[in-house]
Amino acid sequence: MNQHTVKMRELARELLSSGQVSLVLGWEKGNLWYKSPPVFISRVEDVEKLIFDEFCHNNLAKYLMDLVHHSGKIAVFVKGCDSRAINRLLQDNQIKREKLYIIGVPCPGLKDPDDAVGKKQGAEVKNSAKCATCSYPNPVVYDALLWETVPVNTTKAPVEELIAKLDSMTPDERYAYWTEQFSRCIRCFACRNVCPACNCRECCFDQAEPDWLGKANNLSENQFMQMTRAMHVAGRCIECGECERVCPMNIPLMAINKKVARDIAELFGECAAGLDLEKRPPLGHFDLNDPEKFM
Amino acid sequence: MSVSTADIKRINPLIPIRGKITKIVQETPDVKTFHVTTLDGQKPFIPLPGQLAMFSIPQVGEAMFSITSQGPHHLEMSIKEVGQLTRFLHEVEEGQECGIRGPYGNGFPIDYCKGKDLLFIGGGIGLAPVRSLINYCVENRKDFGKLTVVYGARSYADLVFKEDLFENWPKMENMEVFVTIDRPEEGWNGHVGFVPAYVEELNFSPMVTITCGPPIMIKFVLQSLAKMGFNDKDVITTLEMRMKCGIGKCGRCNIGSCYVCLDGPVFTLEQLKLLPPEY
Amino acid sequence: MKTIVKSRLAELLQTMAQDFRVLVPVKSETVSQFVPWQEGLTVNLEGNTVLPPKDIFFPQTEKMYKFKVKGSSVDIEEFAEDVQKQVIFGIRSCDMQSIDCLDKVFLTKGYEDTFYKTKRDKTLLVALACTKPQDTCFCESLGLNPLEASGADIQVYDLGDALGFVAKTPEGEELLAKYASLFTEVNAVPQKVEGFNLKAEVAGIPEKLAKMFDHPIWDEVSQKCLGCGACAYLCPTCHCFDISGNVKADQGYKFRCWDCCMFSEYTRMAGGHNPRPSKKERVRNRFMHKLYYFQERYGQLLCTGCGRCIAKCPVGMDITAIIEKIKEAEV
Repeated sequence: MNQHTVKMRELARELLSSGQVSLVLGWEKGNLWYKSPPVFISRVEDVEKLIFDEFCHNNLAKYLMDLVHHSGKIAVFVKGCDSRAINRLLQDNQIKREKLYIIGVPCPGLKDPDDAVGKKQGAEVKNSAKCATCSYPNPVVYDALLWETVPVNTTKAPVEELIAKLDSMTPDERYAYWTEQFSRCIRCFACRNVCPACNCRECCFDQAEPDWLGKANNLSENQFMQMTRAMHVAGRCIECGECERVCPMNIPLMAINKKVARDIAELFGECAAGLDLEKRPPLGHFDLNDPEKFM
Repeated sequence: MSVSTADIKRINPLIPIRGKITKIVQETPDVKTFHVTTLDGQKPFIPLPGQLAMFSIPQVGEAMFSITSQGPHHLEMSIKEVGQLTRFLHEVEEGQECGIRGPYGNGFPIDYCKGKDLLFIGGGIGLAPVRSLINYCVENRKDFGKLTVVYGARSYADLVFKEDLFENWPKMENMEVFVTIDRPEEGWNGHVGFVPAYVEELNFSPMVTITCGPPIMIKFVLQSLAKMGFNDKDVITTLEMRMKCGIGKCGRCNIGSCYVCLDGPVFTLEQLKLLPPEY
Repeated sequence: MKTIVKSRLAELLQTMAQDFRVLVPVKSETVSQFVPWQEGLTVNLEGNTVLPPKDIFFPQTEKMYKFKVKGSSVDIEEFAEDVQKQVIFGIRSCDMQSIDCLDKVFLTKGYEDTFYKTKRDKTLLVALACTKPQDTCFCESLGLNPLEASGADIQVYDLGDALGFVAKTPEGEELLAKYASLFTEVNAVPQKVEGFNLKAEVAGIPEKLAKMFDHPIWDEVSQKCLGCGACAYLCPTCHCFDISGNVKADQGYKFRCWDCCMFSEYTRMAGGHNPRPSKKERVRNRFMHKLYYFQERYGQLLCTGCGRCIAKCPVGMDITAIIEKIKEAEV
């Protein structure tokens, strides 16, 4: 067992047995060695299920919205990206800080489970694409930090190359590229449902009256859905890359989200979402110095 | 549970036939009864009492309704204004064309009811499905014993089928009608109170009972009937679920392994007790 | 056994494509599904497709009829559907079993679904034996034989450098005879199947679930579910659909499209009441349907062990682990 896992269990056991928290959100191991799905622990004897390894992809902050009526405090393990989601949800008044015990786990970067499919446990597995672009592997908000912070990776990542390639295209070429991508969407909503920025109580895509989004699967509805989502999470996306990881159709969703984040940074200055609880998202408030070129 | 559907083969069961709304009757402020025929003035199909129809205005929507009555050339559906389609329906005029397909569901167990005294208990719009059986009994009067109707609504204005309640049915031989409204109001000399309490007050001896109404009414009616010693297999009710296909394929109206559109909507209390307690 | 070397498979498919619409499994970074054969395609003989083949008979969106509105008049007209004879090549035992499930749903119990039947009736099924189960496969646990698909017109075996074809129905016989010149008769023994990583003991599960509607297991099982539709849309047996319409000015059409019991609006009635208000009721219905209700109604499980849901669930929901939990639950 790795030292990280030992530390997680120790703290979880202490928090649960002392009654400081009544629930712990972490990761566990299932039947597949390259997946570490979420686990909900409320009994001390179950802390042995907790693990930390290179496949702890799920952003557990998403579940805090399901648990707003949970009585008692909740301990939640957060990597750097996950911790930004916590700040975002706090800013949107979706969760209450005093109900949380946040345990920061500095993240060394995770492995790509798709690359592990068919391989024996312990085999060489590619790094996860979403972690290659990560600038904030260390938690930005926590009550306890479980181990030493990790250095920030500064190498150029594949998604940056894709954005550069898309930027160099003519509008028609770019439209053709995204048309091809969105034509594959099966509208399972895994991207939306895993996304911590998608925190509306009722999503406009689910509304029956008016039915903004038609149920037919065709390019026009798919584009409408994906572009609406990209615009809606603009400035609030914490770039955890979960949408792209869970897409069963391999649509490069982070290329849109990163591109939009970069455009916003160019317009409004550096403003990575969820870093600073006091700093409102640029599209969520008005400032007299905001650029007005579009007006 | 066995599938009681007749082996109905149609060219394409999901495509409606064209129909026309020939008459609209305002029953209450938010309930209207629609008379529907085919374009050439015929009855679209011949339903059994308690069966359902998929009724549509193609450009607005399609939904399942109980067929409350039928004439030689038309079907009748009483529809309360609750959503998009029903809101549209409440604004159309006579002559509006529509789509209709069916009949769906099992219908009431007529053979089982034959020769017996029957008690009908309805609340609000819930009298609509029950009325199809009452009308059948009235039309085939000699096949059934005594008919008793207990019906209630929030107010006098909310009582549906007033002509039947106050004119047609009370005149029938060996038939009694008891009507109640929730709260007293000026000009109302009849009974005041909720349906379940009224049923207990009337203190019936156990007999075959058909009941339909809002879930909360059904819940208390069932309690009242149990108190009076009614038998679960003689208590018959209808269920409601969201439906899309009507032919047991699209999946959403299941309660346990039953599909309400195919195996229902009519169930005895005995059958319901074997199904999961919730959906 | 009639065999053809793998390098000549394209030739066979190309010849067949002159008489049939031929659907084959392909796999690239962007697509993993059955698509109409065309010259230059590489058929994927390794592992199954991400998307199941159900859309061949039951497309994600299917137009049903069109209508024209003029004042209070509404004209309704069917779409003329021109269905070609088709061959599905390379379908696995699990997906063959799913077709059996779909046949039961769409073709039995009083009504035949015309849209499904017109396509199904014109289809020949050429199954491909599985010798290397994927990490998430568990069809064997459900009583399927990965080497022999039930219901296939032809069973194909991987013989290493070649593929062996054995007809299982008169229609399959006829198909092989038609292209006899492309095959070589060789004495060959099909490869055996390697071991399965996942197992599930399903004996007694439906009977046990009959007593578990109110069991606390559903609180636990549903907790991590995100309520998305990845499992249902990738499942070869999930068949729930919605009927909706598209209206532009005075005309439009009705279509049906895949729906998913995990979505909140699935059972929401006009007026707002929802009998399955939270993910607990929805998750329960999903697993009850697969492992109990379907068995009670049609005599078999609504799961074929293909493992697609396990492979793609965003939060690692694992139906084999859930079956294990049900087995161990105290009732």
